[in-house]
Amino acid sequence: MGASSLGDFDREFTLSELLGGLDRGKLESALSRLLGASARLDAADGQALFGTTVAGGERVTVRAQLEAVGALAADASPEKVAAAAALIELLCTAGMRYLMASELHKEIVNEDFDELQRRHRALQASEARYRVLAEHLEARVEAQLKTLETAQRQLYQSEKMAAVGQLAAGVAHEINNPVGFIKSNLNTALGYLKAVEVLKGSIASGDAAATAAAWRAGDLDFVLGDFRELLAESAAGAERVARIVADLKGFSRVDLAEESTADVNGIIEQVCNVAGGQITEGTELTLALSELPPIRCRPGQLGQLFLNLLLNAVRATDGSGRVTVASDRDGDQLRVRVIDNGQGIAPEAIDHIFEPFFTTQEVGEGTGLGLTVAADIARAHGGRIEVESLPGRGSTFSVLLPIRSGDRW
Amino acid sequence: MAEYDADGRRLTIKLVYYGPAQSGKTTNLMRLHDLFDPTARGEMMTLETQSDRTLFFDLLPLGFTAPSGLHIKLKLFTVPGQVQHDSTRKAVLSRADGVVFVADSQRTQSVNNGEAFENLAANAARVGLEFERLPLVVQFNKRDLAGILSEEEVQKRWQGAPWPLLFATALIGKGVRETFVTLLGAVHDALDRELQLDRTHRLDRNTFITAVAGGPHGRVLPR
Repeated sequence: MGASSLGDFDREFTLSELLGGLDRGKLESALSRLLGASARLDAADGQALFGTTVAGGERVTVRAQLEAVGALAADASPEKVAAAAALIELLCTAGMRYLMASELHKEIVNEDFDELQRRHRALQASEARYRVLAEHLEARVEAQLKTLETAQRQLYQSEKMAAVGQLAAGVAHEINNPVGFIKSNLNTALGYLKAVEVLKGSIASGDAAATAAAWRAGDLDFVLGDFRELLAESAAGAERVARIVADLKGFSRVDLAEESTADVNGIIEQVCNVAGGQITEGTELTLALSELPPIRCRPGQLGQLFLNLLLNAVRATDGSGRVTVASDRDGDQLRVRVIDNGQGIAPEAIDHIFEPFFTTQEVGEGTGLGLTVAADIARAHGGRIEVESLPGRGSTFSVLLPIRSGDRW
Repeated sequence: MAEYDADGRRLTIKLVYYGPAQSGKTTNLMRLHDLFDPTARGEMMTLETQSDRTLFFDLLPLGFTAPSGLHIKLKLFTVPGQVQHDSTRKAVLSRADGVVFVADSQRTQSVNNGEAFENLAANAARVGLEFERLPLVVQFNKRDLAGILSEEEVQKRWQGAPWPLLFATALIGKGVRETFVTLLGAVHDALDRELQLDRTHRLDRNTFITAVAGGPHGRVLPR
């Protein structure tokens, strides 16, 4: 079907088609009774629809909408035959009305069906296109996600590097101090060795009096005592350097973020040791640690969290104030509070302090990520950070970490 | 185009009244029906819904015999104007030899007129009619109503359009015959180019118009 059949509904219909819905026997019998004679109805092509040959009588053309579609013949008066023909014409008009409507309906249905199929095919084609696009899209989103993840890792990395960079100065000082006195002690020890060497000649000659005189002259009683003290002091200094280096290594492993069972108090102490160099004259650091159960955590990350809070607190006190790090247990969670009596946080800033890149420090001094990272780490441990602050009076950052059932060992 | 059966000496011409819903297409046909000699026309056949809206089409057949003996039959159709009957419009418009576009003069109907006219152009293309060469006249109907576009406004808006523009109040028969006669002239010109009506059947423009619409048609129509 399709467009080629469109507009065929108004074709010329034959008499047989126009009277298609009627019982011809009944029509013939009704006509005969009306006419008082038998009637014959012929189609335009001469074919009889009903009736036998009528000898003589009247023959009238039957028209449907101007078209001659047939003829009615009967041996009756001209008026009667004309009236009967008019009746048949009315029937034809009714039949035509129905035929045209039904043919048009058929055309429309076919046309609509063809159109539906065309659209269906078009939809299938577009669906196929979208499917390809969707697959492609998934890959693109994945790639984008990867880029974002990488960027985020880099940001965190840079935040860590910034914190470590701030530490470096302090750590250098912390290490320089023992290294300085170890060096000086070793120089002194070299001098003491020379003083002892002086005795070598008199001891070799076997002159006990000369040896004793030289011993006294060199004040070797003092030298020996001081030598021992020197070495002990140097060993302690070396021990201190070793400890600082060991604590630093804890931070260098932040990325590995191995989960292990750890003592949070131990992490706090480690952080305070590392940050010791930053907490210089004027700032008084107090630890108030209660006994805590060990928890499953990523110690490297928690160390970074506490370090960020501690450095913030120290910065807030501006080199002259008190910073207290306190830990305790509050029901089924651990609480670590970093309390300072520094400048506090302005009310308009407090809602934003955990937002990335929000910083109150001078450009170049802070990354604006310290508290963001801290909050992320707390969240990753199923915990959170709460802040209370009074401008001019100080701030308290409370880190709340859940003690999970898996933490019992 | 027109069904021309040279052997049977018959020519069937299809004319379609197109336009937005309730612009007066059926009324145009009813008035034409009243105008014509019953021997020259068939019965007006309407297929309408209960609310007097055309469901499929209206049909008014007209017929006459040319001096050459050629039987000419004209079938005047209306299409349903409502938007949802587009398939019906398409089927009725198919193979049309001429179109009267019946627009509603009311200002509020401008958008509907525009959409219906675009629909006519689109459907003509779909059924393979060359819209630019299709005999077409535009009738602005309902001139008796308030809130209508003035004739000047209509003329101005349609300035440059190639189609004859007519004004009508179909309800009282005003402008209906003029519109039809104008279309007949355009259709005659098209058929004459195609079938040499004048030369072969001695059917010039005025004879054709008079034969269909009766005379005197009075004025000389614009070509």
